[in-house]
Amino acid sequence: MLFQTLPFLVFFAIVYPVYLLIKGTRLRLPWMLVISYAFYAWLGWPYLIPLAYATVVDYLVTGRMVKSRRPRAWLALSIANDLGVLIFFKYAGFIAENINFLLRSLGVSYVIPPVGFLLPAGLSFYILQSIGYTIDVYWGRTEREKNFLAYAAFVSFFPRLLAGPIERANHLLPQLHDNARVTLRDFTDGLSIFVVGYFKKVALADYLAMYVAKVYGDPGQFQAPALLLATFLFAWQIYFDFSGYTDMARGIARMMGIRLMRNFDNPYLAVSMGDFWKRWHISLSSWFRDYVYIPLGGNRRGKFATYRNVFIAMVLSGLWHGAAWTFVLWGVIHALGNFATREMERTAFYVHRLPRTVKQLFVFAIVTFAWIFFRAHSIGDAGTIVARIFTSGSANPAVPLWAMAMIAAVWAYQWLFESRLRWFLELAVVRVLLVISMLTYVVLTVRAEGTPFIYMQF
Amino acid sequence: MEERVNQSKQPDIDEVAAFDCSHYVRLSGRQWLIVAAALLVFIAFAPLVWERIEGFNPGGDYRVPYELSNDYWLYHRHCRLACEQGKILVVGDSVVWGHYVEPDQTLSHYLNELSGSDAFVNLGADGTHPAALQGLLKYYGSDIAGRTVLLHLNPLWMSSSKHDLQTTKEFRFNHPDLVPQFTPKIPCYKAPLSTRIRIAIHREMPFANWTSHMRAAYFQNLDLAAWTIEHPYDCPVTAMTQKLPEPRAPERPPQTTSASKEPKKQDMAWVDLESSLQWHFFRQAVQRLQERGNNVFVLVGPFNEHMLTDQNKVTYGKLKEGVEAWLQANRIPYLMPAALPPECYIDASHPPAEGYALLAKSLMDSPSFKTVMLK
Repeated sequence: MLFQTLPFLVFFAIVYPVYLLIKGTRLRLPWMLVISYAFYAWLGWPYLIPLAYATVVDYLVTGRMVKSRRPRAWLALSIANDLGVLIFFKYAGFIAENINFLLRSLGVSYVIPPVGFLLPAGLSFYILQSIGYTIDVYWGRTEREKNFLAYAAFVSFFPRLLAGPIERANHLLPQLHDNARVTLRDFTDGLSIFVVGYFKKVALADYLAMYVAKVYGDPGQFQAPALLLATFLFAWQIYFDFSGYTDMARGIARMMGIRLMRNFDNPYLAVSMGDFWKRWHISLSSWFRDYVYIPLGGNRRGKFATYRNVFIAMVLSGLWHGAAWTFVLWGVIHALGNFATREMERTAFYVHRLPRTVKQLFVFAIVTFAWIFFRAHSIGDAGTIVARIFTSGSANPAVPLWAMAMIAAVWAYQWLFESRLRWFLELAVVRVLLVISMLTYVVLTVRAEGTPFIYMQF
Repeated sequence: MEERVNQSKQPDIDEVAAFDCSHYVRLSGRQWLIVAAALLVFIAFAPLVWERIEGFNPGGDYRVPYELSNDYWLYHRHCRLACEQGKILVVGDSVVWGHYVEPDQTLSHYLNELSGSDAFVNLGADGTHPAALQGLLKYYGSDIAGRTVLLHLNPLWMSSSKHDLQTTKEFRFNHPDLVPQFTPKIPCYKAPLSTRIRIAIHREMPFANWTSHMRAAYFQNLDLAAWTIEHPYDCPVTAMTQKLPEPRAPERPPQTTSASKEPKKQDMAWVDLESSLQWHFFRQAVQRLQERGNNVFVLVGPFNEHMLTDQNKVTYGKLKEGVEAWLQANRIPYLMPAALPPECYIDASHPPAEGYALLAKSLMDSPSFKTVMLK
């Protein structure tokens, strides 16, 4: 069930009033769990099996962990179990494929039969959230959740189930326990956040996807300008798609009186790669920072170790996105970009002399280049795109001016929002007119059925 | 004082922080009410305003252009105008619409010619099989009340279980937006629930139909996004020329000519009338028109029987008998003319101009039709 579709509207119109009625009672948590599982089952009931399995195992294991003299062993068991689920569903085919490649290269005739399991939507998100919880309990950052219903609701809370944000136990669990108050302000704020996300998805992301899909579907048929343009548009498509999802998720949660963490902060205004990762998919980047980068030593053990740790975190982050070498390369490019901007940030010229806009464009260029590997169907396709960008002709790319105008409008809004002119965007009349414009545009022009979110596949 | 006013319009820093977003598109309850009111006004009045802007003066032989066959908003408008002018409405599928012939060669044209008036109006819509026709009349023909209606039944829609929409294998058929979305179940229609809900809501909303009209009339049936991809350097605003396409005939396929050569004989798998979905929907359409106080006259066929084998003609004859029995039992005036001469068919059911002229004549000669017309 996708947030931007009618079935979701019907679903929410039914479950929300009930939620409001019982929010101050003991029925709140069971109801949240029921609607979360119902929401997930709509996509395919078999998805419930790994979700329930991971929930029950982590609940039991953390229970033993806090009582045990060897909590580390229980932690290892929990992480191994969660990663096992992830590998089983997500990486088994990729691993088999690569082993077969190795065997072939070594002249071994044995072939591992192709593995193909149904990848449950949102698996990587709730697995990471579960691992984070277990580690937090082990570290004593959060108390072990004794109430199974609360823990199960924490893992499966439906607004964030499919594509995050990847919540932290000490942020979300207390909100599930609170005697939730839902104020009119919560409702109107949630609605405001939802509407912006809805607009991003249906009016922008799905629009840009048309051009991108055409070019990336058969990159060999297009020349440099079209390939560059499609890559530029994809950078915005994935931003609108994913941040649109997050906005809708946060909006729905806010309407229920629950605050999910912020996941995006105008990432294409970043002035360094480090800054970019503080603005893009914040819940994931902070997860890798807290549970991978810092435990590896962070920046405390010298330059080489710091870069090594950044590299490991970035490559793992790439691999988390998908079981393909294209994602690994995407992570490598981000790591290299991170090294580059870190080094440049040591120079006075970069810090003081270079205009902010140039830095932003530089970071945007690195990020956009990396998106080629993220979006391409294979390494071969990515190679074709990069090669053709530099070697093919300059045929008219048929730039959809309307799309460019909309991107320019969004960029201008974000730029204003981070500038001293922000007061203008905060004027009531501007806000009201913006919402009227967005909704009018949607009701006038959008007719497509809901298309899935890109990040749901991870 | 001015500064104080400005301050009151801007939120304080804590308010911005509480919103916790990378934008400040944040509305209060009152502001949401303003937005809702503005949207409602727009949704209610935009189609009405556009009706005044977009010129629409259908002449005597007007029919909804072929390219706009799915433009139900325009059909509704055409229908309303015809009803306001007290016309006799000729309703049906492409046979009434006049596939392969020009607007001045259709059934309604020859009826006007023979009656020496411009009383008949072409309300045919290409591809409207009975399941779609009943939806067209239900949702977009609400103005047809207290009028005289010549309703055409094309037996082609019962010539196979596929035409009758009874196959369980999914296939694309015309006008899925007009057929019942939930009950009765159409076996070959397998749209997802979300599509069905969208369609069910869409056809109740004039605004949604109007946006479909805009897409069909000015944006080649594409939504704005797809249209701008196809026309990257064109401005969508200037595309809205306010000029609707001409109601020309679509090109006649080269193999289908009105030459008098003997057609190839076929065995058609006529469905059983009792279990026929299309017949069920046709009866529904008749009943709906009657409930609205219309005088309904049914024209059955004539189907191109020259292309049927002798054995198949017998089966077809039984189907006609069933239709006739129901019409008689329900006291619905009708005409079931004999098949036109072979040269008066282009395919199984579409006549060329001379065929329409003959059909109009047989109608004008029919006493029951004259009686209905006089009413």
